Formats: sequence, structure tokens, C-alpha cells
Amino acid sequence: MAILEVRDISVSFGGIKPVRGVSFSVEPGSFTSIIGPNGAGKTSLFNLISGVNKIDTGEILFRGEEVHGLHAHQIAERGLVRTFQGAKIIKRLTVAENLMMAVQGNPGDSLWRFFTPRSRSKFEKYARYLAMERLDRVGLTKYADEFAGILSGGQRKLLDLSRALMTNPSMILLDEPFAGVNPTLVEKLLEVLASMRKQYEITFLLIEHDLETVMNISERVIVMAEGKIIADGLPNSIYENEQVIDAYLGSRKRGA
Amino acid sequence: MEAFIQPGFWIFVLAMAGIYGVFSLGLQIQYGVAGVMNFGHVGMMAITGYAIAILVIRFQWSFWWAAFVGVALAALGGALLGLSTLRLSGDYFAIASIAFAEITRYWILNSDGITGGTQGTLAIPNPRGFGGYTDQPDVILYWIMDRLTPYLGDNASRDLAILLVVWPFFFLFLWISARLQKTSWARVLRATREDDDVPRSLGKNVFRFRLQALVIGSVFGGIAGAFWAVQFMLLAPEDFLRIVTFYGWMILILAGATRVKGLAIAAIFFGFLYGATRFVEFWPISLLSAPERSYLRIFLIGVVLIALMVKRPQGLFGKRQEMVLE
Ligand SMILES: Nc1ncnc2c1ncn2[C@@H]1O[C@H](COP(=O)(O)OP(=O)(O)OP(=O)(O)O)[C@@H](O)[C@H]1O
Ligand SMILES: [Mg+2]
Repeated sequence: MAILEVRDISVSFGGIKPVRGVSFSVEPGSFTSIIGPNGAGKTSLFNLISGVNKIDTGEILFRGEEVHGLHAHQIAERGLVRTFQGAKIIKRLTVAENLMMAVQGNPGDSLWRFFTPRSRSKFEKYARYLAMERLDRVGLTKYADEFAGILSGGQRKLLDLSRALMTNPSMILLDEPFAGVNPTLVEKLLEVLASMRKQYEITFLLIEHDLETVMNISERVIVMAEGKIIADGLPNSIYENEQVIDAYLGSRKRGA
Repeated sequence: MEAFIQPGFWIFVLAMAGIYGVFSLGLQIQYGVAGVMNFGHVGMMAITGYAIAILVIRFQWSFWWAAFVGVALAALGGALLGLSTLRLSGDYFAIASIAFAEITRYWILNSDGITGGTQGTLAIPNPRGFGGYTDQPDVILYWIMDRLTPYLGDNASRDLAILLVVWPFFFLFLWISARLQKTSWARVLRATREDDDVPRSLGKNVFRFRLQALVIGSVFGGIAGAFWAVQFMLLAPEDFLRIVTFYGWMILILAGATRVKGLAIAAIFFGFLYGATRFVEFWPISLLSAPERSYLRIFLIGVVLIALMVKRPQGLFGKRQEMVLE
């Protein structure tokens, strides 16, 4: 059964219709990329799936349950997590705190647990341990206790990605996580993603402009333009699609 | 200049500083932790103060139950304010909160039969004839005064007794609040000061967190209202003008909004600034009439605060780095 099923969803803001009748479904454990020109509606699509914006028409099912009526935090709680284009980090929390906030099931999030300091501090230690482990993997250990606001653009991306992974999602939507990250680090991140995928069977949906990355990592590519899906298939088939060449690839056909 | 050197006056100032300190602790949790700008905080004080007066005078409740219910009503007021308007953006909430406090005050002003209207709590209908509402706390206050009189004579005033009650409570509340701010609950709120989407995308119900912060802050506003009610022994609608909320904000800004421990010192600092400016009597200020001078006082406090915000935007005790991150 598909883990995510999007059925004919649309949204409009005033006169603008960023998403117009999009349908697709994603198999558990798969890796799908979404490409398309600027303004095609890719981020808007993520906003709808993750509950940041509400759909006007259509249906979204996650693990067979309707989620399009839920609040963003409820969708995240169900294990469908996203990152934001351009990396949103909390600047006035430390780097470690940014990550610790993502660990799910923290009893300290409940006000009533103020009166059970033991269980709170035990969980905090555990969250801190997980955070440090994750920082070590992406090479940000020395920034652990600095405000996240001092990180560079690329480091923020690392933090954002790590934080989303920290929630232990069953599916993750990544909005251009590699834009502005240097090539060796991209390679390293791809390795991290691949190992997470193997280990935890996470399902990935990735928005990415770099075609080489897309072709290397994805099992399937969805092409969007003007709010619609114009092509959907194996990575290589995309290169042969006339519509895709017109809308997105231009002269960058295969071999060109 | 005479009052300037009288201990009695400064005892009063310190007692009030403690009450204002508890009051601004509520704002500190709301703004310093949760980033919620409440400009109607005085409304919570009014609700608790008046609830106590009405329940004790008219319905002959015990003061303690009345205080408990009064604080609970302030919490309820915070919850209602939050449920109706906290989903709005920050600016709209700030405006709505002013309206909340003003509506509360107008209601008090115009409900003569319940609140005593313009005449204040003295005019609350009382089945026993004339009466106050502080008999029960006064037992404690007079007990303290009796203990101190042998050592301090006339200085063992009711104000001093209040000071000695309020400050330990203030420190207790500061301690509780400092601990509260170390929890992951507070961490989520600190995140929401900057951005709602991130905590939401991590499964946090931002609205629930904010509402809780608003209610806890309102509880402290209510407790300050209970202290205030005991201190003044009678209440009138003009005790609860907007300016009171802004005094609370001044203390918060002085302390640095994110530094809970600075609040005690900032409250004292504010108390002295407020008290001392009453006595700027030299020429040419001496030419002004008393009401004009009280405006001047507020003006001077404003100037000091602006200077502080320019030179030390983080407050006296805050970390500058936290203010300037991009
Ligand atoms: N909340 C909104 N209100 C109004 N218009 C919006 C909103 N969100 C998106 N849009 C519009 O929808 C269109 C698609 O935007 P979107 O961010 O989804 O593009 P994208 O495919 O992610 O592009 P890019 O590759 O540049 O990130 C744009 O024209 C944008 O202005
Ligand atoms: Mg986008």
C-alpha cells in the first residue's frame, strides 16, 4: 500500500493557483524527486502535504488515513516531516537545542511534568546524547552550545536536515536541502540519507534542481510545471519527454 | 526633601517593587519566554483584586478562598483572551490585549451594583454595612508588626509587614520560574518567538504552548493583584490604568526580557527611579504643579528607558549576542 497518496489536490491564493489538480502516490521506502522550473509549485505542494497550508479540493492520505484536515503539528506527529526551502533554524536557540527540540515524546514538553523533574532530566540527557551523536555525524560538534544564528548558510542546511531526521520520521519531505552546500558535503549527506533509508526504511520525497544528484539518488522523478505534474517516471525517461524538455531541461538534453 | 530620607517611604517603595516584580514576572514568562506581547496585563490584576473585594465584602467569603478564586479567574481571563485572539498575529494580539484590559476596567467602572463603580470597593454593597476585605490577611500582617515593633518602633509599619511577605513570595516565584524556563516546554516557546513553522513541523502544538504561557503569566498577574488589594485595602477603577501594565514592561525591559534573575534588581531599580523622581523639587522643576511633576516623572523614566534601550538593548542583565543575531 502506498504510504502517501495525493488525490487531485489544488490550492489558490487570491488569483494565484500554485497547485492545480496534482495526484500521485509514493511507495514506502522509496526515493522520489520532484523537479520543475522556479515557481512551478513544488514548495507549495510540500506546504499542502505538511499541513502548512490547507488544500481547497482533493484528498491527502498518509498511511491510509486522511491528513488534509489536520494541523501541521499533527501531521508531523504521525511521522510525516518536512524541511523548509532555505533552511529554517532557530537562531536564538543553541545548535544542540535546535536538535533536542526535535526528539519526539519528550515528557518535559508537557507543563504538568514540571512536577516530575527526574523523568524530565533523564529525557533531556537522552535527547542531548542523540543531538551530540548527530552533530558528530555532520561535523558540527564544536558549535553544539553556540547560538545557531552564528552558523553559515551551508551549516544551517546541515542543522535543518539533521533536525528533521532527528524526529524519527517514516517519511520526510526535503525542499532543496543541498542548494548552497559544497559538493563533497553533498556527497556525504547523500551517504547519510542512504544509510538512514536502509536502517529505518524512511521514505523520501526530494525537491532538487541539480539533475546529477537527482539522477543518482532517485528511483523515480516527478516533473512539475505551472502547478501540474507534467511527467512522472523513471529518472531516465524524463530526458526523453518533450514537455519536460520544453518546460525545464531546455537544451540540456541527454548528452548535450 | 523630607520624605526622601524617611525610611517609611522607601519601605513603601520596596513593598511596591515586590508587587510590581511579581506582576512583571508574568510578563517575563509571556514575552521573555514565549514572545507574546501582552499589553493588557493590568486586567489580570484588576480581575483578582476585584474578585477578592467582591467575594469577601458582599458574599462574606474567607479572604483565602476569595484570593484563590480570584487568581483562578485571572487565569481564566488569560485563557479566554488567548482562545479568542492568540491565533491572530502578534501585533493583533497586542492590540486585543489592550482592549481586554480596558473592557475589564470599563465593566468595573460601570457596574456600580457589583463593583462599587467610580467610588471603588468602598461602595460594594455589603450586607453587614461598612466593611473592608483585608481582615484575615491583616491578622498575619499585625502579627508581624507586633514582633518587629520592639526593635523598629514606628518603622514596623504595615508596609514593612507586606514587604516581608511579598518578597519571599517573589523570590519563590522567581525560583519556580527559573526552573520552568529550563524545561523543554520553555525551549519550544523560545523557538516560537522566532518562528512557528519549525516547531510545528517537529510536532509541537504551538498554540497550546502559547496559551499555557499566557495563562501562567496571568496567574502571576493575578497574584500581584491579590498583593495589591491587600496593600491598598481598597480598590478603584483608576488603579488599573494602562500605565500599570507599562510599568511592568519597564521592569521587564530594565531586566532584559530573557533574564529571569534580573527581575528582582530591576524591580527595585524601577521602584527607586519611580520613588526618587517624586522628589526632584529643585528649580526650575519646582515651578511645576504636582500633577505636572508626575507627568515629568513618567517622562524622565521614559528617557532613562530609551537611553537604556539604545545603549543596552539586552537590558541590564541580558546577553547582547541574543539580541543581534540575524
Ligand atoms: N502563500 C502564498 N500566497 C500567495 N502565493 C503563493 C503562496 N505560496 C506560493 N505562492 C505562489 O505560488 C507559486 C509557486 O511557488 P512555489 O514556492 O511553490 O514554487 P517552487 O516550485 O517551489 O519554486 P522554486 O524552485 O523557485 O522554489 C509562486 O508564484 C508563488 O508566488
Ligand atoms: Mg520552492
